Amino acid sequence: MAVFEHFQNLYDIRLKPRLLRSLIRDRVPDEKHPFSKPSELSIVVSAVKNHGLLSESSREAVDPKHMENWKSSIDAWIERLLLLVSSKMPDKCWAGICLLGLTCQECSSDRFLASYSVWFQKLLAQIQPPSDSHFVKVASCASLADLFTRLSGFSNIKKDVTSHAGKLIQPVLKLLTDDSSGAVWEGAVDLLCSIINFFPSSVHRHYESVEAAIVSKIMSGKCDSNISKKFVHCLALLPRSKGDEDSWSLMLQKILISINVDLNDAFQGLEEETKSNEVIKHLVPPGKEPPPPLGGNKMQGETSNQATEMSEQLILHRISMLMLCCCRMLTNPYPAQVIVPVRPLLVLVGRVLMVDGSLSQSLLPFLTVMQREFICSELPLLHLCGLDLLTGIIKRVRSQLLPHAADVVRLLTEYFRRCALPALRVKVYSILRILLISMGVGMAQYLAQEVVSNALVDLDSIAHGCGEASSTPCSKAASEGLLLPSYRKRKHGTITGFSEEQQGGVGTEMEAVKGKPITPIAVQTAALQALEALLTVGGALRSECWRQNVDLLLITVATNASNGGWANEEKDIFLLSDEPTSTRTDFQLAALRALLASLLSPARVRPPYLSQGLELFRRGKQETGTKVAEFCAHALLALEVLMHPRALPLVNFPSGDHPDFGQGFNCKFPKNIFSSGLKNNSPFPRGILGKDEIEPESNDDELYSSWLGNDEETEASASIPDKHLESRQELSEKDGRLSTEDHQAEKHPSDLPAGAQFPKEGDRGATDAAHMETGGIKDSIMAQSERVQEIIPNNDVRLQDKDVMVPTGDLTANVVEPNKGKIESSGSDSSKATPALSSEINNKVLMAAADANALPSDQGSLLTTSIVIEKGKKLVLEYNSDASKDSFPDIVDGEPDSD
Amino acid sequence: MEVVIASSPVDAGIGCWDLHSGAEQLRYRSCTSTPHGLACVGQRFLASSQLRDSSSSSGSILYWSWSKPQVEVKSFPAEPIHPLVSNSDGMYIIGGGSSGAIYFWEVASGRLLKRWHAHYRAVTCLFLSDDESLLVSGAEDGCIRVWSLFMVFDDIGMEMAKNPYEYSFSEHTLRVTDMVSGYGGCNAIIVSASEDRTCKVWSLSRGKLLRSIDFPSIIEAVALDPGEHVFYAGARDGKIYIASINAETTSSNSYGKHIIGTLSDNSKGVTCLAFSKDGILLVSGSEDGTIRVWDAKTHNIVRIYRLAKGPVNNVLVVRRPLYSNRQTSENSHSSFSRRHAPLLPPPLGKYVNSTDENVDSGAVSVPQTPSSDIMDAPYLSYHVLTKQISELQVFFIFLS
Repeated sequence: MAVFEHFQNLYDIRLKPRLLRSLIRDRVPDEKHPFSKPSELSIVVSAVKNHGLLSESSREAVDPKHMENWKSSIDAWIERLLLLVSSKMPDKCWAGICLLGLTCQECSSDRFLASYSVWFQKLLAQIQPPSDSHFVKVASCASLADLFTRLSGFSNIKKDVTSHAGKLIQPVLKLLTDDSSGAVWEGAVDLLCSIINFFPSSVHRHYESVEAAIVSKIMSGKCDSNISKKFVHCLALLPRSKGDEDSWSLMLQKILISINVDLNDAFQGLEEETKSNEVIKHLVPPGKEPPPPLGGNKMQGETSNQATEMSEQLILHRISMLMLCCCRMLTNPYPAQVIVPVRPLLVLVGRVLMVDGSLSQSLLPFLTVMQREFICSELPLLHLCGLDLLTGIIKRVRSQLLPHAADVVRLLTEYFRRCALPALRVKVYSILRILLISMGVGMAQYLAQEVVSNALVDLDSIAHGCGEASSTPCSKAASEGLLLPSYRKRKHGTITGFSEEQQGGVGTEMEAVKGKPITPIAVQTAALQALEALLTVGGALRSECWRQNVDLLLITVATNASNGGWANEEKDIFLLSDEPTSTRTDFQLAALRALLASLLSPARVRPPYLSQGLELFRRGKQETGTKVAEFCAHALLALEVLMHPRALPLVNFPSGDHPDFGQGFNCKFPKNIFSSGLKNNSPFPRGILGKDEIEPESNDDELYSSWLGNDEETEASASIPDKHLESRQELSEKDGRLSTEDHQAEKHPSDLPAGAQFPKEGDRGATDAAHMETGGIKDSIMAQSERVQEIIPNNDVRLQDKDVMVPTGDLTANVVEPNKGKIESSGSDSSKATPALSSEINNKVLMAAADANALPSDQGSLLTTSIVIEKGKKLVLEYNSDASKDSFPDIVDGEPDSD
Repeated sequence: MEVVIASSPVDAGIGCWDLHSGAEQLRYRSCTSTPHGLACVGQRFLASSQLRDSSSSSGSILYWSWSKPQVEVKSFPAEPIHPLVSNSDGMYIIGGGSSGAIYFWEVASGRLLKRWHAHYRAVTCLFLSDDESLLVSGAEDGCIRVWSLFMVFDDIGMEMAKNPYEYSFSEHTLRVTDMVSGYGGCNAIIVSASEDRTCKVWSLSRGKLLRSIDFPSIIEAVALDPGEHVFYAGARDGKIYIASINAETTSSNSYGKHIIGTLSDNSKGVTCLAFSKDGILLVSGSEDGTIRVWDAKTHNIVRIYRLAKGPVNNVLVVRRPLYSNRQTSENSHSSFSRRHAPLLPPPLGKYVNSTDENVDSGAVSVPQTPSSDIMDAPYLSYHVLTKQISELQVFFIFLS
């Protein structure tokens, strides 16, 4: 006894036998005493699991004596369990079976391999007569399933185990046919699934009888839906026991025919009669024998007898279960190459989805009102199954959907137009999402219009729910695609409306009051996810017609969604039932994800709502410990590349084992991004990453060195002729917008950052001095700007205004710093820079224009970003032209004075 | 295992080398491939369209399985096929014909699903976009067209559309010799090379020419740096020019604008280029029958393989599945591997067969190993136990 008297701590293996023995002594029932508290067992189970009491293994080497002691305690444990299993008392027997199942899972491999056969026999006896307790049977099935699950890990004894498993099939089938308890069926079917999964060949001999037993259970409609689903799952797995192509195809064919027959009954009078033949024609090629009915011939006799008195309820139950089975067959992996009958499956799905309860033209008086009412009440469920099946098809055939893609899209879009029930819409959105992601931009072009117009309708309430009296006409406009003027107007509306807006829920309530339908949050979430997928795959190609609306919609939705505060995830957890429901957190996440996609999806100009988006993500990131915060951190990381695009060269990093280190060719490369001469779709990086040459000594950090440009480079860039051209073009394009922006800025002076307002009151007296100081640069700026920007008649003024700011010292450090650079430049080599700089200015003005395009309220932060990044003399120009933006209203106001 | 495979227009077979060890693998016999006419179909087998003498009206496409040197399947399409591509899961093979038609086959059944007139002259190169929904084809007359595969299969949509293609670029004046596309789905760029001595960079999303670069010699092959900083252009003068895709460059360079360097070892013309998966090793095939592996970082030749006396006209870097290596061990667990052994699909059909459309429209689904992962199948007894305990407790409460 001395061996286990001492133990050091809770990890000491000397503790384990002690614990196990006291469990056996105190908690595990025995023959003598009555077993009154079954809850004791859960204490035993958790102790065994937590401490690994049966594992017989230790991380470090241990004294064999201690090990021996542990071993003997486990021997005692098993001895007790076997005794219990053989007990006459059902409750003790049950306890023994349960703990034996646990032992199968927890004990060491050696012990398991040595004794599984004995345990198997013990457990097998318990599911056969004379055993009659349901509890015992269910527990035996579960423990046997665990025994086989564990055995699946040992491939060397496969043959032996397969023969064991084979012995089990008959008794299990007997449980299914003879017993009447749902719990026993469930246990039996779980066990059957485990066996088919792990030891498929053991079922081979019993294939037909298993099929018949399961099919009769599914067809009878006597089990509750949960157990029915398990039977369906088992039926879908069954072909795996043969594992060849034919049994899979045959099973699918039989199921499809069976569904079709049931559909004929269910849809009588609701569709053209030819529909049925269409499916059959695809399923059974002309001249070929139809396969035997599902579940064997005996089955058919049974069903045809019943058919007359079969209720609609039962028919619909069978259809939905068999469709689920098809779906499972498609999505479960199968070990052999099989041919998926895509065409018949699609025709079947189409047949189900096209019935909407309206009477068929040709055959009117078949249906009683009652029958039709019932069918209509059950149709959504059937449609849901149809959509699930469609999802299964798409998942299974992957790229091979291509020849059928157009059909699928047409079917879906037609269905989507009519589909008004939330659960169905959610499902359609999810299918659209799968199609978009899996099939890429080609699919996006097909689906864009459909996704956008539906999402606009579904997100209408949240996008501009309250604060706008004109919500109804607006929503109509939204669904038809917004035009630019109204879009401008709305933008300001939503911005000012932010504070009034409460949260999604409230918004929808208010809509409801106005007599509009409430769009459930799940549908809105699904719509957002579909938009995200659309932007992800197809944001760049031919997206001009919808892109602007969607971008606006998404920033509005995301802002509104976050306005009521971020949802409390913990609260959601408590509300959560078994059904997967869409919560407010999901909605917010979907909104943020879609927003990120909208910001990242390629566009030709800077995303118009970039800074608002950043602000949202920054706020969201502060919600420590939530999914929202996690995602926002990811979003900020992803957006960083948008700010600082990099096309990084391949650098030959110094490394010891590289014999020819040294001549990295890439250090000679000028660093730039897709820029000036090529692509004007990103005005921002053009200004920043610029035409800077790398400094030779800093070839280990390309990006860093690209920041440290020198001015000589700008001449080179100016020598590219088409750059001038493009800049000018773009400017003239921008002109119109610039002027509108100008007016807006005038209307919302409060939107301007404080720094920009300051020069308004600035000292006009200093104007002359500043004028002198800017010298040559200013002239060139004038020349350029006047050509392109008639709306700003006096360029001097804005330059001077900014210069005035320096002495007042009322600016941020960021702004002051570039100014220093400026003074330097204007003093020394301003004349030399003139030709190059003029184009530079052109660009910067352009940038300013682009900036101004963004919402005025965020100009401050944009300004800061661009300035902080810049170094060297170019900063001057950057700064000046940015300043020009800030001073637009100032000029308009102050022009008469200064002249 | 990452291997380099290479073929030649003269009958030297298909050479196969382990990229990293350099060891030559099996050589697949009797292949006289067309330019761009070598493809690895879904990593399962090799396919190559064959040069035919001008007298024969039909083309020829051959299959080799990884494990055997002999040709295993021969197909004879209606006309000679030049370029050949396959999608990444190996479900489809797409070929460009000498009449300018494009052929679209389903590999598993061999059915010709679609054939359409794409160009007025012979198709010279083909590739699929990143997401495999767009097909880009180049022709002898310098025309490049972008096709949406959905559109191609949508007869109704096709009738309504103005053009069957998405874009048609005609800026090249002579034969298009090679094309590659970059990363980024529909926002990718395409680089094309032509006998007019230019390479052109295109934007797929906007359908516009972004940059045209003049080279001192005709460019036969292009390869794109995976970071898309530069592209490599293999020229007939034996040099591999490095040209910048998007950077500003001065014209002071000795080769011309935008060209910022070369890889060269004074050999004969470069005919084909391919990048390894790590994006560092660049493989080039040459007129002199050798294949060079360059380190793109150091510009040095890492390895040289010798394929033939004649020119090399195709190199690919592909991942070869490991099972073909274990021919001996395959027999040990026979039933399993026989089921999985890559039996080659039937030959490709000659004509689009419209009559059987109603009968057979199945999609072939490749075998998937069912996950026998224990993680997937949780142990049941614990759940059953807790469920039953709570039931029993209710029962006891009911009794007391």
